[in-house]
Amino acid sequence: MAQRTVVVASASGLHARPAKLFVQAAVKVGVPVTIRAGEKSVPAKSMLGVLSLGAVHGTEVTLEADGPGADEALDTLAALLSRDLDAEEALDG
Amino acid sequence: MRDGLLDPRAVLLHESAADRDAAIRRCGQALVDVGAVAPSYVEAMLERERTISTYVGEGVAIPHGTAASKEDVERDAICVVRFPGGVDWDGEPVTLCVGIAAAGDGHVPLLAALADILLDPDRARTLREATEVSQVIKELS
Repeated sequence: MAQRTVVVASASGLHARPAKLFVQAAVKVGVPVTIRAGEKSVPAKSMLGVLSLGAVHGTEVTLEADGPGADEALDTLAALLSRDLDAEEALDG
Repeated sequence: MRDGLLDPRAVLLHESAADRDAAIRRCGQALVDVGAVAPSYVEAMLERERTISTYVGEGVAIPHGTAASKEDVERDAICVVRFPGGVDWDGEPVTLCVGIAAAGDGHVPLLAALADILLDPDRARTLREATEVSQVIKELS
């Protein structure tokens, strides 16, 4: 089981727009990834699951995946969480 | 859920909207009416929706403003607006909108609670089919 632990960097936490971008990316990596905050673990491609974590700016989350492509998938998603996706709003909005 | 985020007057259960933008305007107006946001926040909600859909699944959308519109927020609040006839949300049928006004992250625990409810099919149905304001307040408390 490959793992990455990252701190949510987006100013508004992992909901709304940052959550949407994360979920879209999780679908795209093509490897089942789970995201865990505290005791709670949910599929990374479930918007409702990700929202239910209630992760705010600074919350530590752990990404987990298995099998071929797991490391690349986790690197991609961990990098996304490490960026302030709210601050990038003006760039792609 | 933090007290005071959901004003019973911001729970509207028998609304109708011709399209997505009309539904968002209705949600925005509900937030304006309880004094949570300035009227300009409604335009920011429409702008956000054009950037990225706030549809979250289970027939529910959570419209809210852009990061730049935070100064239009007087206080963190949500509204719950039900559209029994459904609204076409970029191809997804939406029957419940939870509009959000947030300057900080006080609404995040509430969103998490909402997501937990929606992940439970029975509770999601109760919320989508609610006919009494008290049912909605109870589910979200």
